[in-house]
Order: sequence, then C-alpha cells, then structure tokens
Amino acid sequence: MISYDFEYHKPTSISEATHLYQSLQSQGKKPMYYCGGTEILTLGRVNRIVTGAIIDIKGILDCNVLKLEENLLIMGVANTLTKLNETNYFPLLSKTIIEIADHTARNKITLGGNICANIFYREAVLPLLLTDSQVVIASPNGVKVSFIHEVFHQTLNLNDGEFLVQVKTDNSYFKMPYVSVKRRRQWDIGYPLITVAAIKNDNEIRVAFSGLCSFPFRSQQIEQSLNNRQISRQSRIDQVINDIPAPILDDVHGSAEYRLFVLKYTLNNVLDALEGERHA
Amino acid sequence: MMSIGKSIYRKEALEKVTGTAKYAGDFSKAEVLHGRLVVSSYAHAKIKSIDTTAAWTVQGIRAIVLGQSFPLTGEEIKDRPPLAFDKVRYYGEPVAVVVADNETIAKRAAELIQITYEALPVVNSPREAITSGAPLVHENLIFYEKIQHVYPEPNTNIADRTKIRKGDMVKGWSESEVSVEASFSFSPSDHTAMETRCVTAEINRDGKLVFSSATQSPYMIKKLMNDYFGLEPGKVVVRTPVVGGGYGGKVAVQLELIAYMATQAVGGRTVKIMNTREEDMISSPVHIGLDATIKLGCTKDGRLKAAEILYLFDSGAYSDKGATIGRAAAVTCTGPYFIENITCDSLCVYTNHPYATAFRGFSHSEVLFAFERTMDMLAKKIDIDPMQLREINAILPGQTTPTQMLLNNSTVGSLPDCIQRLKQLMNWNEGQRIQVSDHLVRAKGISCIWKTSTIDTEASSGVNLLFNIDGTVNIISGIVEIGTGTKTILAQLLAEKMKMDIHQIHVKMDVDTETTPEHWKTVASRGTLLAGRALLKAADDAMSQLKDIASRVLICSPDDLEVGYGKVFVKDEPTTYLYIKDICYGYKYPNGYSIGGQVIGTGNYMLRHLTHLDHETGVGKPGPEWTVGAQGVEVEFNTQDYTYKIIKAYSVIDIGKVLNQKAALGQVMGAMSMGLSFAGRETYVFDDEGRVLNPRLRTYVPMRYGEHPQYMIHFNETTHVDGPYGARGIGEHGLIGMPAALANSLSVAAEVDLNQLPLTPELIWKTKESGGTK
Repeated sequence: MISYDFEYHKPTSISEATHLYQSLQSQGKKPMYYCGGTEILTLGRVNRIVTGAIIDIKGILDCNVLKLEENLLIMGVANTLTKLNETNYFPLLSKTIIEIADHTARNKITLGGNICANIFYREAVLPLLLTDSQVVIASPNGVKVSFIHEVFHQTLNLNDGEFLVQVKTDNSYFKMPYVSVKRRRQWDIGYPLITVAAIKNDNEIRVAFSGLCSFPFRSQQIEQSLNNRQISRQSRIDQVINDIPAPILDDVHGSAEYRLFVLKYTLNNVLDALEGERHA
Repeated sequence: MMSIGKSIYRKEALEKVTGTAKYAGDFSKAEVLHGRLVVSSYAHAKIKSIDTTAAWTVQGIRAIVLGQSFPLTGEEIKDRPPLAFDKVRYYGEPVAVVVADNETIAKRAAELIQITYEALPVVNSPREAITSGAPLVHENLIFYEKIQHVYPEPNTNIADRTKIRKGDMVKGWSESEVSVEASFSFSPSDHTAMETRCVTAEINRDGKLVFSSATQSPYMIKKLMNDYFGLEPGKVVVRTPVVGGGYGGKVAVQLELIAYMATQAVGGRTVKIMNTREEDMISSPVHIGLDATIKLGCTKDGRLKAAEILYLFDSGAYSDKGATIGRAAAVTCTGPYFIENITCDSLCVYTNHPYATAFRGFSHSEVLFAFERTMDMLAKKIDIDPMQLREINAILPGQTTPTQMLLNNSTVGSLPDCIQRLKQLMNWNEGQRIQVSDHLVRAKGISCIWKTSTIDTEASSGVNLLFNIDGTVNIISGIVEIGTGTKTILAQLLAEKMKMDIHQIHVKMDVDTETTPEHWKTVASRGTLLAGRALLKAADDAMSQLKDIASRVLICSPDDLEVGYGKVFVKDEPTTYLYIKDICYGYKYPNGYSIGGQVIGTGNYMLRHLTHLDHETGVGKPGPEWTVGAQGVEVEFNTQDYTYKIIKAYSVIDIGKVLNQKAALGQVMGAMSMGLSFAGRETYVFDDEGRVLNPRLRTYVPMRYGEHPQYMIHFNETTHVDGPYGARGIGEHGLIGMPAALANSLSVAAEVDLNQLPLTPELIWKTKESGGTK
C-alpha cells in the first residue's frame, strides 16, 4: 500500500503529456511519467519513490507503435516485454527480455519502464546499445531523435519534463550472430548476477553488460580488448577485466570476486558462440 | 476399506480453488481500526527516545502504543516484551504500533515516528555468541521467569542446553578405528507462507477478548493470555479460519499480544494488524539457523561406535521456541542409526538476529544436514558405499535412540526396507557420479531420515461429532486447516469407522476456541494421531448411543447390534435394522412416546507415557513413534561453472498406513520442494551490523514454478499400533532429508565437501577455491 496521495493523469498526446508535466511541476507535485508501473508501485509502497502525480503515457498512440518501417523497427515504449518477446521482431532483444523478472511481471513491465528503471539492471537497454539504436525523446519543446549513445550513460539522461517515446533499431542488425547470457545466483528466476549480450558485426564483437557494475554499459575500450586477436583469448579476457569502468558489484546476489569468476567463463562462452571454440 | 487409502478431495477444495475461502485477513467491517508496526532499524541498540509528535498530527490516529517493561513473554523463558522496551535486539523488531481509522493513515503516521537509537555491539552468529566476552543479548537472563525444564546460563548468551549422555565415550572412541570431524553452518531463513500473519482483536462490553487470527495454535493464545496478562481463560476467544500455510511459522504467539495491547488502547474497539511481506519475513519469527560440529567414529567395516555432537542453534534475539527446537534436536541428534556411545550438547543461543520459531521438521532438516553430511564423509574415508554405511547402522526394533528409548516393531518403521527401495528407485548400482559430457556430470546423494514429535507430554485433542436429522455427521475438531488436509483425513477415518459415505460427513473448517474442543496445536505431524484417535473414540461413543436407542426399539441387546451403511442392524440378521436418521435425534414410538435425543459423540486423546528428558543424560521418552525413511537427490552439475539442476528427488517413507494416497503424496512432494528451496537458495544475508539485507521477495527467492525436479515418492507401511488404522506422522518428513541429500549429491559432483547452506554455485566455487572445507 502506498501511504501518500498522488494524482493520476492519462494524456492521449505527447504535447498534452509534456504540458501536464510542466503544470504539475509548477504546482510542486513532483510528477513522474508512468508506463507499466511495476516499479513506481513497488518502490512507492516503501517510499523509495515519492511523487504527487503520475502521468500515464500508455494512452499516447506514439508510445504504442510496434512496426517495421522500411529498414527501421519502431518500438513504442509502452509495449510490454511480453508483447515484444511474442512478436519477436528483434531476436536479441527477445532473448534478453524474456529473462527479466517472471511472466506475470513481464505482462506489465514496458520497454520504456525497463530502460528508465530505478533498479539498475535495465537489461532491455543492452541490445539497443549494441545496435546503435536511436531514441525518440519528447520534451516540452517538441520531439527529438538521438543515438542512444548520446543520451544513455549508465542511465537514460533525460532533462526535467522529457520522456522516452520510441526506440528505433536498424533491422540489418537482426541478422547478425548474437548471444545473450544471464547468470543468476541460483536457477532460472531473479535478478542477474551478470547479464552479457553480444553481437558480431562482420568480424567485430560488440558486447554490453548488466549486473557487473551498478549500471548497464557498453564500452569501446572493452570491445577493443576483446577484439584484439593479436593476443591469446585468455589475455583478451584479462584485458577486458582491466577495462571494467567501475567497481564490480558486491551484494546479496554474489560477491565481486565471484562475479569476476562468472564474467570470465561467460566471456569464454560468448567467444565460443561468436568465434567458434577452435578460434582461440 | 470404505475410505482409507482413497484419494478423497479435500473438504475445502472447492472453496480454495474458486478463491472464495476466507482467510483471517479477508474479514473486515467498517468500524475496524488498523494497526501498523514501527520496527527497529538496528539489530542491537539502546532506545534513547521515541518522538511521536509528528505522528499525532495525522488525522485519524487513535493510539500509539509503545513498549513497556511488563509483561515479558516467551513460552519457556519470559525474555521478550511484545514491543521492544529499553533496547532493540534484532533488525525489524516491533517497537511501536500505531492504531488509526484505516491502513493508509496508520502507515503514514507510523512513518513519522522518530526513534533515536544508540548502537550496541552486535552478536552476529551462534559461535560468536558463545565466545567469552561476547556482548550479552540479555543482561538480565538470571532474573527471567521460566518453566522448570529449561536451563539458561546466566551472564552468557546460552538460553538452554540439552545434554545427551549415552554409553561410554572412552569405550566408543577406543573401538573406533576411523573418525571424521566436521563443522557446518547456515543462517536463519524464512517460512514464506503465502498468507502473511494477520490478527484482529477486540474486547466486548462484557470483557470478552475476541481474536481472529491466522495461527496454528489458537488454544495456546488463550492459555498464554492467561499466563502473560492474567486474563480468565473463559474470557478469551480465538477464532481461526483456514490458514494460508503455516510451516511452523504460525505456531508463535506474537502479533496477538500486540493486537491485545492495541485494542486495549482504543477502549476495546476492533484492531486489525496484518503483516506486510517484509514484516512477516523478519519482524515475526523466522526459521532457525545452526552452527554444528560433529565427530563420528566407526570400525573399518563401517559400524558406528561413537558420536560427539555440538549444536548451536541461532535462536535470535529471543528464546521463544528456540529452546524447544534445541531439545528436539538433541532427541534426534544423530541420523536414524543405532550408536551405543553418544554425547551431544544442543544449545539454544541468543544472537541479534530475528528470533526463531518452529519450521516444518522442527530441527530435523537442520540436524540431518550436518549429521548425514558427516556420514558421507565417513563413508568416503573408509571407502565404503554411503548407502551401505547407512544399511549397516540403520536403527531397528530392539535398539535404543539417543534418549535411550527402546524401540519395538510398532514404535519405529522399517528403515532397511526404505533403504532397499530407494536403492532400486535411484538405480544406485549404476554409480554415484556419471560423466555425461565434457563439463557435465550426473551425481546422486542420499540421506536417511527419522522424526518423532517432542510436544508437551500433556498435549491433548478432542473431537465432537454432531448428528444431523438426515443421519449425516458434523465433525468438530480444534485442528487448524493449514493446508495439510487433516480435517479431510478425519472425515475419512469416520467414514471408515462408521462404514458410511464420505459425502455424508461434514467438517467444520473454522476453529472457535469457545465452542470447538481443544486440539493442543496444529503442529509436529501429530494432527492425524491426536485428533484421529479422539475422533475414533467419539465415533465409539456415538455408535454406542445409537446402539442403545436401537436396542430398545429392536428389543435386543446393544451387543447384538452393528452400525454401518446408514443403519444400525442386528449382526446376525442384517435385515433387521433401523436407519440412523430415524434414531439419531431419538426415537418416537407410534403413540408419541419418545426416547433419546440428538446423538453427540465426544472423544479425546492424550499421548501415553511421555516424559521430560533427564537434564544430565537426556534419558526419556519424548515422543510416541518414529517415522523413518530414505531420501535421495540426483543433480546435473556443470564442472566448469558450478551451476546445477536438480533432476530428480526421491522419498521412500514408512508412513504406517496410507490414509489418502494423493494427500500423502502432496504432503511429501510439497515438503520436498520446501527442503530443496531452503537448501538450494534460501537464506537471510546479514551485514556486519546484523541487518538483514534481503527481507523481501525481490531478493529472497524461494523455488519457483519450472525449477522443480521430478519427484519420485514411495510409501512403506509398517503399522504403528497406536496410530489410527496404523498411520504415522507425515506432514514434515518429506522435507527433512532434502538439504543433506542435495549437499551429498553436490559434494560428490563437485568432489569437495559442501558443509554450508544454501548450496549456491558461489558456495561451491568458494569451497573449491579454498581447497575444500575442513
């Protein structure tokens, strides 16, 4: 149960949503955009998210789009993980999101909600980082399109009043070899110890991580090390470990040392899958 | 057999599967006030001040109740204020309860209460707790009131010590050619019942205190309200509807005490307190943790000669059921083996962890994990098949238990038969460890089990049978329907006894202590024995009343009559009969004369010849009989990354008599899955300050759908003479060998001794990295 009062708004257009945000903001209501709601509700009941008004963007048509337009897959942020998985336009995305939470939760969790989540795994972003996807962001001044790398650093850096409307991905990536591996503390359900997603573009492997540090990331440095075929596979992996951009997580799911162990063999699995075992 | 052994649907099945069954939290009325707990954010701290000013500004607040120095509560040692007073002793401990017009207001106000603490050093494990110089969780242990048979050690953190001294250890060790010693540990965890604990309390105008509670022990609440607050037993009424899972967690009496204080504070108005999941996990009592050291000696050919055992139970901040659990552990301190020479110290130890209560199996899964792991280590050391080591030492009629109780053909089932059957089911002869591919092995592990109950020696159960005018019967029993289906079993026993159709029998599911005959507590796999025997006695009573009336009408001796098939008939001439429906409310002669009245059968049952344990030696008879069994687990283990899947889990249990095939399978299967979940992943994670880092289902994840192995279950039937139709207890036994069997299978798979729980890939990795445990 949430003990604070908050307003609920459900606009039907982008401009209505952004204007609502501005006006609620000026009333001091600390509004939040709301999509699937799983996080706002569950963190709201323990006061880790406190808001005076939520703006549900599921009523906006642009947020519900899911279609292939020429060579671009356009995914509205209000699409649930279940729907994205079932339509399966983007196999790597499907593979990654099918491992998030459980089926009942995935019926509610949306693409936008996962990318913009407080809980820092945000695994849906990994395939988008690997495929240089574009993000459509609404602001009070209109809609802008950027490459995800310009705005996603650890988290999607939105200015006050902005919200994510759509993600666009070039479908030429969908044919590339890929892997997505989620390792948990135990068995098949739960948060990741580490999630690694990777694709092979020509001969270059791209790789992105969640659960390793306190944010999901893709790193140029790491990819350079991983693709440096001048040295042994073991050395490449060691190099990758040196390149990890922040402290390795150490929490109830696993210690930092254990995550490192898991990372090493998982990278080996990734290389096996994308380079073939004998390549090493 | 009319009914015994048949897979009769539970009497409450339709209600449950259609979602219409009403649980304690489902009852509400407009005028109910809501209580919300304020809980401690420290594991051990002095309460410097509690500021309620801001909370009182919230509209709709009726009362804020804080802890008091009196009364102290606890079933064996009175060491616990219902709300913390002066200091807090665990993270999540209730410090105050806010009573308000609705849940939202109560929560809002509770969030505004400001408590200032001064942190105290924390006792974070039982081994730490017993070191000299450890901070004391209870400085005043010496002054606490207690029952006679508990032995706290003042100025230490030891709340109780049970000693087992059997045989001659010097002789035992001198006859031992080989020995092993190992230490084991695991932290407290949770029961995770679907229904969180919930209670409402009100005081009527006539001074009657009425509870509605999700509890396994409604009658104990009545008794304890008298003990703690001096209330007249007749003025305390506890109502308990069906309960959404207990697993021992709802044995403890905790929220009721707080609810009583809350209703008192608002002039007796109804106050409802329902735990959030987080509160249910750590504020209410938990599944106990354990540190153990076991030393076992045997001859070269595998005959056990000596066992030296230390159990340190992590009872947490209070001793409530911890002392009883420690005692039960001593009673069954070894596995189900005959060992002539045993010394065991089983301690209930205070720490700054959430306090413990019963957990399905009541110390047995915990103790067997340690003991059965040691058995495997011993088997390895003398290079003997672990199955064979268990066969050699399996306990038999004519032998004695650790408390020197002499067993006979009735008081213990046949363990050798269970082991034989398990061996076949598991295809044991193919080998314990089979390489499947480069990085994959299949491995098998086993554990033998036994359990008796250690309930109060004067625990009793009563049953009333009320006849309806159509000759059908209502069963009234104080058993709480906690999901085990025991009340349906009672109906089956009656159907069998009176040779009647099960559909002619109605069972009252709810318990109301004012009108329902007492059943001590719905615990310890004792429902069927206690209430079953009471029911059979009540049936005898009812049948003799029926025969008495029939004998007058049929003009014969009652001895010539038999009851069955809805009739009372002459044994020798079954065509001479009366319908039960025509006599169960008396009999009316043609001229209007009438005799008899409504037939009401009553019966009760109390276990025979149980004793307390001798404090110096542990000698005594704590329980009526032992259910034994053999269990196994087969895993597929990846030797590269240490992940594994549980492929199959096996149970062969001697349950005396199968009363309801599917119900028995369901009990065993459910218990096995709980055991595997506990062993494979469930634990609280504590930080250095004793705070629980995962008191929510986001991060504390029980086994989920799709993660289950294939369950293979087989029952043996060695009659327990005292049991109804020969049945033995079965509610807990499926659980108790699972942790050991899983640990044994993984120890074989990973080729390293795994002596901690839960058995996560990280634990296996860490053990491998450190070169194995010692």
